[in-house]
Amino acid sequence: MRQEGKLHPLVKELKLDLETGKLSRREFLRYSTLVGLSATAAFGMAGLASPRKLLAAQIIHRGGTLKVSSPIQKVTHPAQFSWVAPSQQLRQVAEYLTWTDSNNITRPYLLENWEASEDLKTWTLNLRQGIKFNNGDEFTADDVLFTMNQWLDKDVGSSLMGMVGHYLDPTGIEKTSNHQVVLHLKRAEIAVPEHLFHYPALILNHRTFEGDFIKRPHGTGPYTLEMYREGERCVVKRREDYWQMGADQKPLPYMDSIEFIDMGAEMAAQISAIRAGEIDTIDLSDAGGTDVYQALKDDPDINIQPATTSQARVLRMRADLKPWTDNRVRKALKLCQHREKILALAYFGQGIQGQDFHVYPKHPEYCKKDTPQYDTEKAKQFLKEAGYPDGLDVNLAVGSEWTDVVRFAEVLKQDAAPAGFRINIRTMPNSQYWEKWTEVDLGITPWTHRPLGTMVLNLAFTADEAGKPVAWNETRWVDEEFSKLLNQANGTLDVDERRKIFCKLEDIQMERGSIGIPYWRNVWMVTRSRVENVESHPNLYMLFNTVWLKKS
Amino acid sequence: MAKFIIRRFFLLLLTMFLVSIAVFLIAESSPGNVARNVLGSFITPEQEASFLAQMGLDKPIWQRYLYWLTGSDWHAEKKVGLPLKRITTPKGFEEWWAVGEGGNLLRWKMEGEDLIAVVKPPDSETFERPANDRWQTYPEGGSYFWGIDTANHAVRWEKGSGETVWNFVMGSGWMAATGGPAEYIPLKKGFVRGDPGVSLRTGRPVSKSIFVRLRNSLVLAGIAFAIVMPIALFLGILAGLKEGSLPDRFLSISGMMFSVIPEFATGIFLILIFSHWLDLVPGATVFGEKAPWERIDMLILPVLTLTLIELGYILRITRASMAEVMRSSYIRTAFLKGLPYWRVVFRHAVRNALIAPITVIMLHVNWLMGGIVIVEVVFGYPGLGKYLLDSALYKDINALEAGTMIMVMVAVGTQLIADVIYTFLNPRIRYG
Repeated sequence: MRQEGKLHPLVKELKLDLETGKLSRREFLRYSTLVGLSATAAFGMAGLASPRKLLAAQIIHRGGTLKVSSPIQKVTHPAQFSWVAPSQQLRQVAEYLTWTDSNNITRPYLLENWEASEDLKTWTLNLRQGIKFNNGDEFTADDVLFTMNQWLDKDVGSSLMGMVGHYLDPTGIEKTSNHQVVLHLKRAEIAVPEHLFHYPALILNHRTFEGDFIKRPHGTGPYTLEMYREGERCVVKRREDYWQMGADQKPLPYMDSIEFIDMGAEMAAQISAIRAGEIDTIDLSDAGGTDVYQALKDDPDINIQPATTSQARVLRMRADLKPWTDNRVRKALKLCQHREKILALAYFGQGIQGQDFHVYPKHPEYCKKDTPQYDTEKAKQFLKEAGYPDGLDVNLAVGSEWTDVVRFAEVLKQDAAPAGFRINIRTMPNSQYWEKWTEVDLGITPWTHRPLGTMVLNLAFTADEAGKPVAWNETRWVDEEFSKLLNQANGTLDVDERRKIFCKLEDIQMERGSIGIPYWRNVWMVTRSRVENVESHPNLYMLFNTVWLKKS
Repeated sequence: MAKFIIRRFFLLLLTMFLVSIAVFLIAESSPGNVARNVLGSFITPEQEASFLAQMGLDKPIWQRYLYWLTGSDWHAEKKVGLPLKRITTPKGFEEWWAVGEGGNLLRWKMEGEDLIAVVKPPDSETFERPANDRWQTYPEGGSYFWGIDTANHAVRWEKGSGETVWNFVMGSGWMAATGGPAEYIPLKKGFVRGDPGVSLRTGRPVSKSIFVRLRNSLVLAGIAFAIVMPIALFLGILAGLKEGSLPDRFLSISGMMFSVIPEFATGIFLILIFSHWLDLVPGATVFGEKAPWERIDMLILPVLTLTLIELGYILRITRASMAEVMRSSYIRTAFLKGLPYWRVVFRHAVRNALIAPITVIMLHVNWLMGGIVIVEVVFGYPGLGKYLLDSALYKDINALEAGTMIMVMVAVGTQLIADVIYTFLNPRIRYG
């Protein structure tokens, strides 16, 4: 553990808050690890036993092969991943600098710890020492440098370029010692540790990586790549000299191997296979999985663990197109969402109700608000004031393969009729929706889970320096006060302070924003009951280092 | 007969040629975008352009078709000025190299503004050396070089073309370079030389995946065929002999029942009953490294589904044909002659009654190969039908073409077999 003096100043405050009862233990864990305290240290300070020790009480069985049904896609460069699926396989072979767990707490992984300067513009990453790649090379700062440069290389074309490239230039990455890298950012950023766990951010071996990971699969992870046949199978096998220790004081992982089998996109066969015990789990990261949940929820041999996510079906209105330019019309439509009903009918109650701002209760900076009520009378009144006493006709664009989106649209159509909205649902294939998701005037767009509240707000509700809405600002809604507050939040590490700003941000979005969010979706980790110690991650990432299989 | 078979062979080649052009044109004109299908909806225009260029999809359609048919290495050889060679590494990766003087294999890469040659001598370790002497100059300024990159493309690298690109070079950091790869030709030998190319969807050589898939489908269809045909013919003959009897009514009606229920419904019902409810056999096929015949238990339900569908159909055709023959005058004559009953049936009736079922059966071989796609999807069976379906959905032209060519061969081949069988069943049929 590090010396008290070197800790981020916030940790001391957090500890005080914990002692005076201002923070719950859980919140303390989340916030202190957010500023770089290692998980073990945080658990220690909070007076909790480390989760690893708790586990030691159980009897762990080593060995066995886990069988996963998962798409085996073409992979060359990990930084180029555009789907989560390939990261499910390579996450077993290579690793990330950080790890955002299922409670949205980000912890050091290949890092020992990190420190952020007060202005959040200088981040010092201290690397864990003594880690070896599976080809025997030592993991050093050069690997981090090399990997980050790959992200920022235009020719590689990584999606991290759009994420990290906004605040980091290649020249801002400084190697200060063999095990320390300092990032000098162009502007303040609080989400650096979260970005380091973005799924394409696997750390590569700078000595051997040549653009194709499958040819030289040299990572620091617990498994080695034995076979990678696109569209068919992938097999990873346990390595003996992995750096993490298990609860039995021997190196992880517990399982001998993991086999990934590509069974195609059709779910029926995969459901039958897991029922029959031919596979142990299904990779639902890119697939959704409501049908899997429905089919398996009553099966005694199968464990279904939900995870609350910030995945949302966003009812988005183009604030620059009539009639949605008028806030009263937007408010009227938002009032027509019968949230309880929508959640129950569209997603069988498997989620939590949303409140028309893009922050969900598990985000650290979430500020509690009352859920707006369904009120067609008030909506009708707003429409009348806006100049539509006889109601109005609108087209609602939805992708037809998202079944819950379609049902949400159908419920909304019915419930909005008394207020005067005559909704014409225009279904189209999902691919066609993605062709014009930023262009339609009224539509329902799926947004994926992101671990911090600031992330989506920056992506979807801001403008660039010239005042033009950013690329993913699908509603073109730009609000001066909102942008100013959001900028302030982006530079505030103290979560209490940030939450105060978020209270205002949430109010603004509820009052004059351009979106309705009726519910936040659950996702499910589905495993056979012989699989032990699995966590359900909001992104359904498969991190199986400490997973073990019961003796059959 | 030999002449007939040779004529059929040329017909096969002609059909394959025409079908391959048709598939190319249909895939070309259908909506959708391979880059977005493979990389997802959120790729940037630059990523899309780079993907299309590296896959050679930015070239005009006639050139892509020519490359697909005859390969691209001969064209690339002219550009590079060295013979090209495809090798398979000990780990099983296919790699293209240029053959330099002394039998050294060569590839190139660009670091900053420097061209680096990767040299692989016949029997020693690979090494790298600078190769800036290979640059050639354009008359209008700037230089270019045609070579082979490390990802099986012939590439035209450019520098001094005015556009600045930042490249990261290990050991020296970020270097400004004026240029980079400007044009790609993905290397392949072409279909006529036995190389259908690389699947755009999976990046794997099509030839490596498709034969396993074909084998799997053949196993499934073959077993179903071997079970259905004898049973259907036997029961059909039995029903046809005694038209209107109780067994005939029972067989006809149950046969009709199973052949009108679509196979996905039959499949799902069978899964529910035998897998979920009775828990007797697995309801999905997960083979892993095993071949289908090593997990016979997983084949039971798919085969049963196919059997039920096919059985009724063939049975009813056989029955109708048999009943008709039994009513004909020459059979009556045979009976009147006093021949024993079974002799009349087998020597005189069955041979003539089989012509219609054989035609249907042979057409159904083709249907079994491609048409079992629904059964394959329901059971997650890794067969050719499913492979073709996925390829078509992704507009994966190389895989689609290869699969279609196999289907054409099967179709024309089974028709040929049917024609030959006719001559044995009815000696009056002659080809020449």
